[in-house]
Amino acid sequence: MKNIWAVCRREFASFFVTPMGYVVVGTFALITGLGFTASFIFYARVTESPSTYAYQGVPDFEETLLSPFLVFCGMVIMFIGPLITMRLLAEERHRGTIELLLTHPLRDRDIVFGKYLASLGMLAVMMLVVAVHLCVVGYFVDVEPAVLVFGVITVFLMGAAFLSMGLFVSSLCSTQITAGTFTFGLFFVLYILGALSEDMSEENPAPPGWPEGVRGAIGFAYGIFRSLARQLPLDAHAKEMAQGVVAPHDIVYYILFAAFFLFLTFRSLESRKWRS
Amino acid sequence: MIEVSGLTKCYGPVEAVRDISFRVEPGEIVGFLGPNGAGKSTTMRMLTGSIPATRGKAMVAGYDVATQPLEVKRRVGYLPENVPLYPEMVVSRFLSYVAEIKDVPRGARKAEVGRVVERCGLEQMSNRVIQNLSKGFRQRVGLAQALIGNPPVLILDEPTVGLDPKQIVEIRKTIKELAEEHTVLLSTHILPEVAMLCDRVIIINRGRIAAQDTMENLSAAEGPGGERRGTLEDAFMAAVAAEENIEE
Repeated sequence: MKNIWAVCRREFASFFVTPMGYVVVGTFALITGLGFTASFIFYARVTESPSTYAYQGVPDFEETLLSPFLVFCGMVIMFIGPLITMRLLAEERHRGTIELLLTHPLRDRDIVFGKYLASLGMLAVMMLVVAVHLCVVGYFVDVEPAVLVFGVITVFLMGAAFLSMGLFVSSLCSTQITAGTFTFGLFFVLYILGALSEDMSEENPAPPGWPEGVRGAIGFAYGIFRSLARQLPLDAHAKEMAQGVVAPHDIVYYILFAAFFLFLTFRSLESRKWRS
Repeated sequence: MIEVSGLTKCYGPVEAVRDISFRVEPGEIVGFLGPNGAGKSTTMRMLTGSIPATRGKAMVAGYDVATQPLEVKRRVGYLPENVPLYPEMVVSRFLSYVAEIKDVPRGARKAEVGRVVERCGLEQMSNRVIQNLSKGFRQRVGLAQALIGNPPVLILDEPTVGLDPKQIVEIRKTIKELAEEHTVLLSTHILPEVAMLCDRVIIINRGRIAAQDTMENLSAAEGPGGERRGTLEDAFMAAVAAEENIEE
């Protein structure tokens, strides 16, 4: 435990003794701030004259402003996350400091959890920015505070899942650039997959003329692919959660997602023992 | 203190280290000598648990490197060849991070960092950012890092490479002093350095041990033609040449 904490502190501090931490948090604050302002202005206009925007009556605040804004914050983390995770292990390898980590009395878990916690620390700093926005919301709008708190937790969980994937990719790469690019590519593929899945029909894509057994098999494979494409993307689970709808399976999804990639990171670090 | 038997490291079809065996007794300072690419660093990496051995066994301070790596790592101070440091960190902060990882109790950390800083002559530099240090001082920070926790075994991979003559003299002096209380395995390809520092020499070439003996015996031994080898240099050349003849 002590060593996890030591690795985590060193890593977290290194974000803020280099410009990296400030750039990442600053960019996040700028983008989410602009997004927040724009959507707030839009919502104010809609409330003034709903009919101009084809709404009947004042639209639901949580559905129209809060939830899309929180999902948007999550999406921004999708863009910025690779900048946080790319250095975690790839840079140690690039600079050779991995040799220090490997020859000091550290277990793999100290390294993996230490690094992951440090990236979660960065995420927590970014959540402070989101919290500021939500405090503004809480001040001007009559919303349940629980909904706002849960909103922050949603974005945090989503970000934590992104970061676990980034950490894994970083453990595979030996330079930051490859790690960052690869991570971003994976995030984007997941995102596009989610967007495409909305258009996937429920019907079996095999032609009706084919034998029943083949059709059944294709239908089964297609069904699995379709539900994966719908459920796997990280933003798919955030939309409802961000409105304060607590569904345990969404939370479990994020935790399992992160646990899976942390597991892969362990295996990737361990592979040095059998790969020459 | 260090006991190696049949240690082999293969990178694919290439055998970087082939079946080497040697012992280092407590309190000894042993030079690990060889041309570039002979397998010195690979052997040292295997001893410190940084890379696994393909075959063979290495015991350090009574523990098996393969099965009890943490126990070994607690007892070894390692200075890798290209001193890896976090450039953005302040020297004293870096050393106290290492102290924390090496299980130095919280209350004793400050004193321990102070001790190694003094030992390595870093007093003036302890509040400087590592990235702004000269090569010589970085080397010392690397050495200080290895000394934290006062490990009984020190493994130093080319500690004087890339330093200016004055720094070389200083670091040799430090190593000589360290040898009084630590077992030291030191690699280098600078022959006079070995002559100055070491009790015993292991000459390694193309992944094999070509010769191992005390300094006196090596330089006193006779060559194949019956000529007396006056210096370590002659002994080294003879060992390396003999190995090449076997290969052919």
